[in-house]
Amino acid sequence: MIDEKSTAESLGSTRTYGQVRCMNPSCTSRITPQPGQTMAKCPKCGSEWRIFWVKAGLPRVRGPVWETSLKMANAKWDTLTDKKEEK
Amino acid sequence: MALDRKLAVVDLTTGNIEIKPIPLDVRKKFLGGRGLAAYLLYKYVKPGCDPMGPENAVIFSAGPLGGTLASAGSRTDVMCKNPLTGLLGSGNMGGFFAPELRWAGFDHILVKGKADKPVYIWVHDGEVEIKDGKNVWGKTVTEAQWAVREELGDPDIKSAVCGPAAEKGVKYGNVMTGIKNANGRGGGGSVMGSKNLKMVAARGTMDIKIAHPMEALEFDKKYIEMITGAKVNQTMGTLGTPFIWGAANAWGGVRANNFQLNQLLYSDDIEPESLDEISNQTVGKYHMAACFGCQVHCRAKYRIPDRPLSQKLGMVGKYDEGPEYTSQNAFCGEPGCTKAETLLICNHLVNQYGVDNLEIGSLISWAMELYEKGILTSKDTGGIDLRFGNDEALIEMIHHICNRDTWLGDVLAEGGLAAAEKIGRDSLKYMIHVKGMNHLGSDERATPGLALNAAMASRGSDHLRSRPAIDLYHLPEQVLRRIYGSPVPYDGPLSPDQREYAGKAWMVFWQETCFMGVDCLGTCKYHTTFLGATLPNFEDWSKVLYYNTGLEMTPREMWDVAERCNLIERLFNIREGMKKDDPLKGEMLVDRYFDEPCRLGAPDVVGATLDRVKFEKMRAEFYQHKGCDEDGIPTPQTLSRLGLDTLDAEQPRL
Repeated sequence: MIDEKSTAESLGSTRTYGQVRCMNPSCTSRITPQPGQTMAKCPKCGSEWRIFWVKAGLPRVRGPVWETSLKMANAKWDTLTDKKEEK
Repeated sequence: MALDRKLAVVDLTTGNIEIKPIPLDVRKKFLGGRGLAAYLLYKYVKPGCDPMGPENAVIFSAGPLGGTLASAGSRTDVMCKNPLTGLLGSGNMGGFFAPELRWAGFDHILVKGKADKPVYIWVHDGEVEIKDGKNVWGKTVTEAQWAVREELGDPDIKSAVCGPAAEKGVKYGNVMTGIKNANGRGGGGSVMGSKNLKMVAARGTMDIKIAHPMEALEFDKKYIEMITGAKVNQTMGTLGTPFIWGAANAWGGVRANNFQLNQLLYSDDIEPESLDEISNQTVGKYHMAACFGCQVHCRAKYRIPDRPLSQKLGMVGKYDEGPEYTSQNAFCGEPGCTKAETLLICNHLVNQYGVDNLEIGSLISWAMELYEKGILTSKDTGGIDLRFGNDEALIEMIHHICNRDTWLGDVLAEGGLAAAEKIGRDSLKYMIHVKGMNHLGSDERATPGLALNAAMASRGSDHLRSRPAIDLYHLPEQVLRRIYGSPVPYDGPLSPDQREYAGKAWMVFWQETCFMGVDCLGTCKYHTTFLGATLPNFEDWSKVLYYNTGLEMTPREMWDVAERCNLIERLFNIREGMKKDDPLKGEMLVDRYFDEPCRLGAPDVVGATLDRVKFEKMRAEFYQHKGCDEDGIPTPQTLSRLGLDTLDAEQPRL
């Protein structure tokens, strides 16, 4: 009984290392920063993320690159408000 | 044995103390911790009673894994009727109190009545006493704990204590233990204050006999490896829970400026990496602490850094622990403040006053929006310039609320719904709440599943009752099916897309059952399927429970216990007036979720609102999964299936 693997335990083998996901919900592409790299751009959607290394092989998104994030958000907002005005 | 701990029923009005065993059939039905507490609350609290009156009860509970070597058996559940909402009041804290309570011979201390002067309860090696509280009343959270140790001459006493805010009748007072472990969101501290009860102090030397010690050691090791092997827990052991806020803020999933924005821009100073650096500088390299029996170590130690604001307020060097992500919500995102020293000062103040950080931060942020909209004036605020981003105003308001020494402080101390009534105009429109409890600091307009969780949480707007947080990880559908298809089969829709509505009701229902399960065991939510997909749940609990306590339960039986206990909480709320669409006590989000689009964040988040029709359909599905009718009332068949059809009629089983 002790040796039997539960669902949660067996899922442990599916973990990935050295990658983060783009945090743009429709994108979620995997990004593989170089070891120690502190900024990464999503190759698919262009979002830029600041990277922190919890330890070797375990990066995480610390936050967005603010200027890029704000620029993209404003562009999206303008598109949405333009559409509203057109209606 | 691990299951031989008892229940003490303490009546502070009469001084009577009854000590009762917990029969095995009761264990099998409600297990312990929060689950058994829900049963006790339902049976011992008079329907419709005044939450601040003697007829309310406050129940301190440990779970059957408390004090064992199974991972993180540290949790104390505190339950009562919540003075803030008039509905279920329930909180859960880590630290070292629950193991000490169990070593003193008890799993549950139920306190009712009201003492005619300040008292505390002293629990030690099978005995319970009511003692004069003159030496502890009026003291801060930590001062009170040190004082009782001195009075009783034992430095190892652990206490669950209310702070000065609760003594003054603030309606969202916490129960606290240690430096910062907080039993928040439930109003348990306020109920203690209303009873003139300052603390329950415990000290025990009664060993817990492990049922199958060799097997338990072997399995606990494997169990712990599952927990420490998870990437999320390795991150948490480095950065603490602030990593959660950092991740959510990255894509625009936090409340900012009350609810006007969904991201705190340029907040680098309060990101977890910056806070970690402050801990490094002020405490040293090894600054992560843990609760009893936990290997994750998610609690940072810090001293308030030497910066202009901390100097001005005389706070430089004050020691505290945390902050948790909830404090980043409450004192950064919502009030629009981006200085680390403000966060660390506010965190220290709420820990010492013993007040709920999420509630007080939300209320102040709400008042800031009212001030900027002209609904509150400078006269109302006592001259405080209550703009968003005004760090000093935020700190001043914490003092005024906890001391109730200004008009606005006193009004906000009563909670949001009561405050909206006093402030008037259309102030309520701007409050972000569910069931009268202010919303935690996340913004769910772009995540329907998480939004449903907030609306359905039994204690009011909350993430720790049913949040499917792994919905944010874009896990492949086959992985989701393995998690959410056990121990109860499910073949309905499941989507890895956090923006979808389909299948989210099941995920929320599953998480609600999972979270009740872990709360019944008395272990930590960070050690189950909450923030990580590879963490233990029902299958693993069945084994860890058996080896440690000897109690044989299948994963499905554990699921049934959790489902049953969740239903008791629902029945309690219905009894106390909860109605599905009631804007004050219902299971619905405020209009702003549906009407105001997100302005910031990742491109796909900008413009997001919830779709009301789809949301209501999701809610209806959730009721179906729970075995409730379209109004959220449990059907007779469901009550019968879970053995609750005689709940109202039966005499208390203990």
